[in-house]
Amino acid sequence: MDDIKRATRKRWLAWGSVATTAVLSTAFGIATLDAFAEPTPGPAPKVAADPPQVSNPSPGPAAATGVGDDPLTPQEVAKARSVALTPQLVGAARDVAGAKGPEYLSSDVIEGGKGRDAAFYFYDYRSDELVKQVVDVTRGKVTGSFRAKDMQLPASDREVATALDLVLADPVGAEVKKLYTRVTGKPWSGKDKLKVGAHIYHARPADTTSSQCGRHRCLQLVVRITDGPFVDLNDIIIDLSGRTVVRVK
Amino acid sequence: MTRIGIVTNRYRNLAGAATAAILLSMSAAPAAQAAAPAPPCNADSLVKETLPNGTTWQMCWRIHKLAGLVLDKVFVSSTRYPEPVQVLESIAMAQLNVPYDSGAVEYNDLTDYGFGGGNLQSLGGDDCKGGSARVGSDNAAEPERRSVLCVSAEPSGLAYRLQNPEESKPPIAKQGHDLVLRAISKVGWYEYITEYRFADNGRITARLGATGDLSPGDFVTPDKGWPIGKGAQSYSTNHYHSAFWRVDFNIAGAGKEKVEQYDTKRAGSGSGAAIFKTAKTAIAKEGSFTKVNRRWWRLVSSTSKNKDDHLRSYELDSGANDPYEAHPETTPDVTFTQQHPCEVFATGNADPQCGNRKTILDYTRDKETMTDPIMWVRVGFHHIPRDEDQSPMPVHWQGFDLTPRDFTEMNPLTPPERDGNNGGPGNGR
Repeated sequence: MDDIKRATRKRWLAWGSVATTAVLSTAFGIATLDAFAEPTPGPAPKVAADPPQVSNPSPGPAAATGVGDDPLTPQEVAKARSVALTPQLVGAARDVAGAKGPEYLSSDVIEGGKGRDAAFYFYDYRSDELVKQVVDVTRGKVTGSFRAKDMQLPASDREVATALDLVLADPVGAEVKKLYTRVTGKPWSGKDKLKVGAHIYHARPADTTSSQCGRHRCLQLVVRITDGPFVDLNDIIIDLSGRTVVRVK
Repeated sequence: MTRIGIVTNRYRNLAGAATAAILLSMSAAPAAQAAAPAPPCNADSLVKETLPNGTTWQMCWRIHKLAGLVLDKVFVSSTRYPEPVQVLESIAMAQLNVPYDSGAVEYNDLTDYGFGGGNLQSLGGDDCKGGSARVGSDNAAEPERRSVLCVSAEPSGLAYRLQNPEESKPPIAKQGHDLVLRAISKVGWYEYITEYRFADNGRITARLGATGDLSPGDFVTPDKGWPIGKGAQSYSTNHYHSAFWRVDFNIAGAGKEKVEQYDTKRAGSGSGAAIFKTAKTAIAKEGSFTKVNRRWWRLVSSTSKNKDDHLRSYELDSGANDPYEAHPETTPDVTFTQQHPCEVFATGNADPQCGNRKTILDYTRDKETMTDPIMWVRVGFHHIPRDEDQSPMPVHWQGFDLTPRDFTEMNPLTPPERDGNNGGPGNGR
């Protein structure tokens, strides 16, 4: 054992001195190949115990109802959404297509409630208001109803699709199609060639063409060519409330 | 599967031991406190894991359409302190503001786009290598159950080391581990990792990782960007990621924490070195605060104490942090407000039930006295792109630590051979 230890130490010392030489000789521009030889490997370190593990439960069948602040289950969402859409709301509000009923945006469990309470958010394009319906999911009742102007939540998939349709139908749509051809080398063959997301757009102090955005529901698209790169359409703003397309730059 | 059984049994045994200890010592504490709390959520929403050093963390998780990963009801226990004690009521991201230095674009990725729903990524590839990919609702408008949360245990390096008093024996040393929860959201070309790390020593780390790709369309003049690609043609735009978290403590389930600020200032010179004095400022009313050298804050329980009769607390430790002074909301480092259900996001809070309470500036305007404080932490990162950011971009991180201070009267990982080492010699002076 002692011999091995001594031998190992000797090798390390040798490596240290070679390394020093290397630095010096490199400084004089005479690097030697030997200087980069690796030290003789010592014994491998003891293999550590198995990496720490966490449990890996297999998800059981989806629960029909949540507990406490659990997310709303699909069943709870379906049931409570129909409760939230009261006849009065459906009759008076308009969706992104101008049809009867508000545009459904999202829902969430209300944290810290005694039972299962949910907030359902809609946009009413008739009045340009964000609508919140509070639903007691267990009892199937609307327990609160609120609306406000100049308030926006992220866009629904249908709103994003509508915004793209408005862009393609607008004169700027021709530029988008040209951009597609420039990036892919292929002729435009339809909107399924684009994958589109959207940020809500709020007017900036300097905006002149889109100063209504915020009071109106406006989107700024994030566009990727399907299976391809992103393309920049940041300067195109779609006003879904006014059904117009404007440029901000 | 075997592992689940081991973890569960161990937890139950430890909780049982705590009950027995309390009954034996005829403590006045109600027995209900000693029992492991009933899980406050469904099994799919519960994460409860014991790390190799014996520390168990338990919490509920869910996805919010805007905020992404939300953790509720976070409890900790350890071999030394087997009774689970609550730390957090909830923690979640509260905004991600991304303005570009060109002045052309600015995004609020939580409130104008959303980390949940369809923007939440299903885990695949190496996303959760070595961990457990958990299935849960993505909270889309029509929710889907998908593999979206990665739970793993990761080595955190040397937890402690002390030369053994018997020098012939190996040092008293242990490797530490973190329980790690993470979810990934895609916002345009950027992909964001929301990560929480629960250390076996009680520390909680919240951080946001950014990867994906640089903006494909933001190129500017040299004074606002950095050249990527050949020569000096394409200057990718410098930009900010200002992230906010909303932290709701509930220490030992007692709530009613108090906020304290500590400052250490030079106070002359002693015979051998400079003198520094540390003083506390109680923060009773809502407000925003900014770090100066050696300043820190803690949330301290009004009632819950460790065995040394010290009130339990957690302190905020932030590291690298670039304030963004172009907005009053993104300038201060931390904001404390009274808890109100309406106040969920640091900016862009859009709730028709909540009138004009839209930002932390609105929340603090009336300087309400806090009986249940919420801590809003802002951590900014000014990103000057570099060649290596493409592609994919190496993950860059920003975040903060919540470190236990007097939560237990000793290190929760103290090994039995260091049992008596509490306080000064002769029980203090």
